[in-house]
Amino acid sequence: MALLDRSEWYDIARSTNWTPTYVSEEELFPDTMCGAKGVPMDKWEVYDEPYKTSYSEYVRIQREKDSGAYSVKAALERNQLFKDADPGWLSILKSHYGAIALGEYAAMSAEARMVRFGRAPGMRNMATFGMLDENRHAQLQLFFPHEHCPKDRQFDWAHKAYHSKEWGAIAARHAFDDMFMGRSATDIAVMLTFAFETGFTNMQFLGLAADAAETGDFTFSSLISSIQTDESRHAQIGGPALQVLIANGRKEEAQKLVDVAIARAWRIFGVLTGPAMDYYTPLEHRKQSFKEFMQEWIVGQFERSLIDLGLDLPWYWDQMISEFDYQHHAYHLGVWFWRPTVWWNPSAGMTPDCRDWLEEKYPGWNDSFGKCWDVIIDNLLAGRPELTLPETLPIVCNMSQLPICAVPGNGWNVKDYPLVYKGRTYHFNSEIDRWVFQQDPIRYRDHMTLVDRFLAGHIQPPDLSGALQYMNLAPGEMGQDAHNYAWVDAYRNPLKKAV
Amino acid sequence: MALFPIISNFQFDFVLQLVPVDSDNTMDEVCSAAAHHSVGRRVAPQPDKVVRVRRQGATEFFPRQARLHETGILPMETLEFIFCEG
Repeated sequence: MALLDRSEWYDIARSTNWTPTYVSEEELFPDTMCGAKGVPMDKWEVYDEPYKTSYSEYVRIQREKDSGAYSVKAALERNQLFKDADPGWLSILKSHYGAIALGEYAAMSAEARMVRFGRAPGMRNMATFGMLDENRHAQLQLFFPHEHCPKDRQFDWAHKAYHSKEWGAIAARHAFDDMFMGRSATDIAVMLTFAFETGFTNMQFLGLAADAAETGDFTFSSLISSIQTDESRHAQIGGPALQVLIANGRKEEAQKLVDVAIARAWRIFGVLTGPAMDYYTPLEHRKQSFKEFMQEWIVGQFERSLIDLGLDLPWYWDQMISEFDYQHHAYHLGVWFWRPTVWWNPSAGMTPDCRDWLEEKYPGWNDSFGKCWDVIIDNLLAGRPELTLPETLPIVCNMSQLPICAVPGNGWNVKDYPLVYKGRTYHFNSEIDRWVFQQDPIRYRDHMTLVDRFLAGHIQPPDLSGALQYMNLAPGEMGQDAHNYAWVDAYRNPLKKAV
Repeated sequence: MALFPIISNFQFDFVLQLVPVDSDNTMDEVCSAAAHHSVGRRVAPQPDKVVRVRRQGATEFFPRQARLHETGILPMETLEFIFCEG
């Protein structure tokens, strides 16, 4: 039987919409779930997704992608990468899997909301494929680390992290629940697919795949490339939704969603990707600094996408760009110092050569962050490792759920940005985080940070050991220095560097 | 006499920290408790200086012998700990 060419039937099939007669339109598409912002049905019908595919085409391509990723994994299963890879690279894998794998499930639920409640037929169609994409990503990123679990139980956190009350998992859940799970279909199109995926993950996955290939981890490289090609397709759901909103006088609402989502995404990237690029990746494999990456992809590329759509840059754009110089250095120092509280082994990235690189990429680094590391190195040289471990909790931001931190040393600019709301004092990392809270206080007000829980008596005994128990970090899972302090040798014998 | 949590923003350190003190502590004792979590860990000691405490953004320090419950400082208020001439 001859098949019609896709172009001959696609527009009719994808535009399937109907006028309800047994229920009202409001009952069929309740605004809480749709978030149409008062834009009527017929205005949404002009929604035109840039990437068009049919189900049979989708299945054929996905099958090829899956067999590609799985066959690379199978072919390389017996290679020595796990044994030979730099521990810093293994830490990137562990932090990535734990933070992302079940986040894909959240994204799948979000796509499902657009499948059911998207106001535009084209959006529902695209989101159906997006939902299947995210399911594939979750399964891939749970299965690939699974083979390493018998050798290293930290890999088990690919599945475990989101089921725990570990602080990084709380931070990821808080952000993803906000952007993906607790939003309407329209808000998800803007926040998840446009701001988070077009703005950040699509670019980040490109870079991560290249870094993996450079490091010789072709399994991870092919996995991430496979995922990225899906991302670049379904990330296009948001753009046309924004066009509909702007064309119908809803720019202000759309802008706010974009601004909130970028603010939230930036914090996640700062803590996850920043240390990975500037500290965990072995020096010889670094292509560009995190700051250079952010400037090229986020400022250079995403800024253009915002302007082209008719949106403005977020009000905090300059502040965010200035944070490229320091925020991830502060997060890295925090993660390394509080290393028993994470499910991977943070790489200090602190050899003299590493410090030269940091100073070159971030002039003034030695005079600021370097001052803290000088004290840490002195303690390790003097045989006082206990002073390089915490005895209390950092204060975490009531928005990002990450430590409130900034520049130490001679550039000291650390500051709390408090807010009293209905008798409770909230603490924020910056004006940006505080502004996000103020946009929708009811959404955020009842959440308790890890420190709030500690003070409320949820963590027993009320000390670091109780906190580790609360976070469900067992021995063998708690992080330690990735290189077991071997990097300190370069300071013990300064001549060693020259040899 | 009661457990009293404060937030330490210690000069030259990179992060705010939770520091449990006692409402009867003098401000010198509060400074000492805050220093325990910063000085010699990530902040180089300055033995010729004393650490004084003030509210975030204030210029005036609290008197060194004032007791915490006399100062009006609230639980979980952010305080700045600054190296000063002795």
